[in-house]
Amino acid sequence: MADIGPYKVRPPVMSVRVEDAMDIMIVRDTTRRASSLIGFSPAHRAQLSSAAATLAELVLKTGEAHTIHLNGIVEGMRTGLQISSETPWLAGVSANNVLIALKSKMGDLVDDITLQGNDPPTILMIMWLSDTDTRSR
Amino acid sequence: MALEVLLVEDSKTQAQQIKETLESVGLRVRIAYDGPDGLRDAISNPPALIVLDVKLPSMDGFQVCRRLKRNPATQDIPVVMLTEKAGPKATMSGLRSGADDYIPKDIFASEHLIDTLHELGILED
Repeated sequence: MADIGPYKVRPPVMSVRVEDAMDIMIVRDTTRRASSLIGFSPAHRAQLSSAAATLAELVLKTGEAHTIHLNGIVEGMRTGLQISSETPWLAGVSANNVLIALKSKMGDLVDDITLQGNDPPTILMIMWLSDTDTRSR
Repeated sequence: MALEVLLVEDSKTQAQQIKETLESVGLRVRIAYDGPDGLRDAISNPPALIVLDVKLPSMDGFQVCRRLKRNPATQDIPVVMLTEKAGPKATMSGLRSGADDYIPKDIFASEHLIDTLHELGILED
């Protein structure tokens, strides 16, 4: 399992190819399923699926097909879900400006949004399991 | 006896579809077609679950949910919002108003609703 970003990847490892508007629904559905497998509460599943669907919609607006990756991640005792997508269309754009825009739109939905690399840049969004999630880690 | 769900939905067609989904898993369903009626119904006869649309006449689903969560008679009833408003802002507004889940009305909505009913303990695994 290849790690995307700084964290160790653990199942579930899922991806959805996004080529048209219908695929956005599939992204939302797949994200709910991935977050359910990790143990997120229904409310957090709603947040994560909204974040993934919004990212898919945003990238689709650039006119490019792309893949949304949904990976379980661990760091020490923490477990979470990472949503990521490569964004070649962001090459050369100020990372700071991109992050401000992403956080303004989706910052409330997830714990962290980062931009990694330049060749091509990858958007990473993470939510960690918390005490309000119902299942044990 | 089957648990009872209060469905607050102004579209009669959609209300019927959601009712059929809920009845297919053994729940009894009563329907209110606007926010104020839904609130009165929930307070006078608290159901096991409330499924709430967002775009409603008179009072939107966010307002209804906030009032339900402020009222001691209804504050512990799980609320699932089922809505056409799927964006990040609407999702957070729904969850911040006290909803337990926020499900966009797409082709997977019925499956997601039933998954959530299991998660909330309304349906047994």
